[in-house]
Amino acid sequence: MADKVHDVIMIGAGPTSLAAAVYTSREDIETLIFEKGIIGGLAAITDQIDNYPGFEEGIEGLQLAEKLQKQAERFGATIELGEVQSVKKDGDVFSLSTTSGELQAKTLLIGTGSEWKKLKIPGEDDFYGRGVHNCATCDGAFYRDKKLVVVGGGNSSAQEALFLTKFASHIDILIRGDKWKASDVLVDEAEKNDKITVHFNTTTDEIVGGDENKVTAVKGTKDGQETTFEVDGVFVFIGLKPVTYFLEGSGVELDEYGFVKTNHKLMTNVPGIFCAGDVRSGATMQIAAAVGEGAAAALSIREYLENYQREMIPNGNGQD
Amino acid sequence: MSKKITVFTTNTCAYCAMVKKWLDSKGVKYNVVNLDENPEKQKEIYEKSGALTVPVTLIEKEDSTEEVVIGYNLARLASVV
Ligand SMILES: Cc1cc2nc3c(=O)[nH]c(=O)nc-3n(C[C@H](O)[C@H](O)[C@H](O)COP(=O)(O)OP(=O)(O)OC[C@H]3O[C@@H](n4cnc5c(N)ncnc54)[C@H](O)[C@@H]3O)c2cc1C
Repeated sequence: MADKVHDVIMIGAGPTSLAAAVYTSREDIETLIFEKGIIGGLAAITDQIDNYPGFEEGIEGLQLAEKLQKQAERFGATIELGEVQSVKKDGDVFSLSTTSGELQAKTLLIGTGSEWKKLKIPGEDDFYGRGVHNCATCDGAFYRDKKLVVVGGGNSSAQEALFLTKFASHIDILIRGDKWKASDVLVDEAEKNDKITVHFNTTTDEIVGGDENKVTAVKGTKDGQETTFEVDGVFVFIGLKPVTYFLEGSGVELDEYGFVKTNHKLMTNVPGIFCAGDVRSGATMQIAAAVGEGAAAALSIREYLENYQREMIPNGNGQD
Repeated sequence: MSKKITVFTTNTCAYCAMVKKWLDSKGVKYNVVNLDENPEKQKEIYEKSGALTVPVTLIEKEDSTEEVVIGYNLARLASVV
């Protein structure tokens, strides 16, 4: 049983929650943030961020993450390294099962963002972390002067392939469709790069390893013909899916794609549970938007807590 | 008891920063080997971990045995450090 009821527990310490925490903790709303992975979320693993306002020369993702963390902590927000496993309504409060035990809070902010989709092809799981990767800034350095395949035709694929050219001698980008789904700026840069060859209408079918338990090739189908790319590693960026597994049984409504639905105040159908950033239905998947939504959600949380406080005062009439 | 802890990192690896933050929060002392600055160490860590990823945390124990933790794995780190 939890011995304390927190004002707000934020789930995930990506840009969304860190921005929200600046607002809540600055308003003396006691704020606890749970993070199971990296403080800074997906922004922290992005090499260079050029479209976040205020940094005219761009900023490294890891550096932005550290600045966001320090700013949230400066006003008193606490970050706990651990995972929220489930959430349920318990009378006037929410109970959370976490890797740090049972906790209770008056309000919650879901800022759990998204995670990479898998290809679900033979070899992908067998070679994960040993030739199959999702994080270029983490694992790119192992491919100095080596050949790589990058799978995917979106912004992340183009951006990460460009980062990987710092190390790799050559990169084949495999795109299932007949065109890019990435921004023109990135496509232009990728297509101009001598180290990159783009293959449209190409599926990725199997990841093959050799005797040393390392990846040696990727088998695909290009324009209906089987084809083999002899490479040392594969980076997969085929899109992201919202992280909501811990909401099972909570009553929080999701949209048809699994994103969390909210109203204009960024509150879910469960009063007291708010949601912002990449995991929210309608999100634009940008850091600037995530921090904007985080700030807006924090103000809604403040308003909700003011009403909550009034309703909890014995004999209070709930009116101003 | 662990005798010596080494975290293998790269300049851009955010999970490496998390391992270091976690060790700092527990007051644990460690050395850092940056593979961008010491690329020759890559082979050594691959031989120990079998993985082409960082962070890798190498824990050398008093009894001269070694434990290797691949990635940012709090449960594993907590049990061996
Ligand atoms: C490769 C790549 C490049 C990008 N480049 C740019 C760019 O240049 N500019 C830009 O504006 N945007 C960019 N983006 C998008 C940007 O990173 C996201 O829009 C932003 O990070 C979303 O923030 P968030 O806080 O909503 O979610 P996230 O950043 O995904 O953070 C969510 C956090 O929640 C944690 N979490 C999840 N579940 C739990 C749980 N149960 N318990 C505890 N913690 C949990 C996760 O570990 C994660 O750290 C890029 C994304 C990718 C993948």
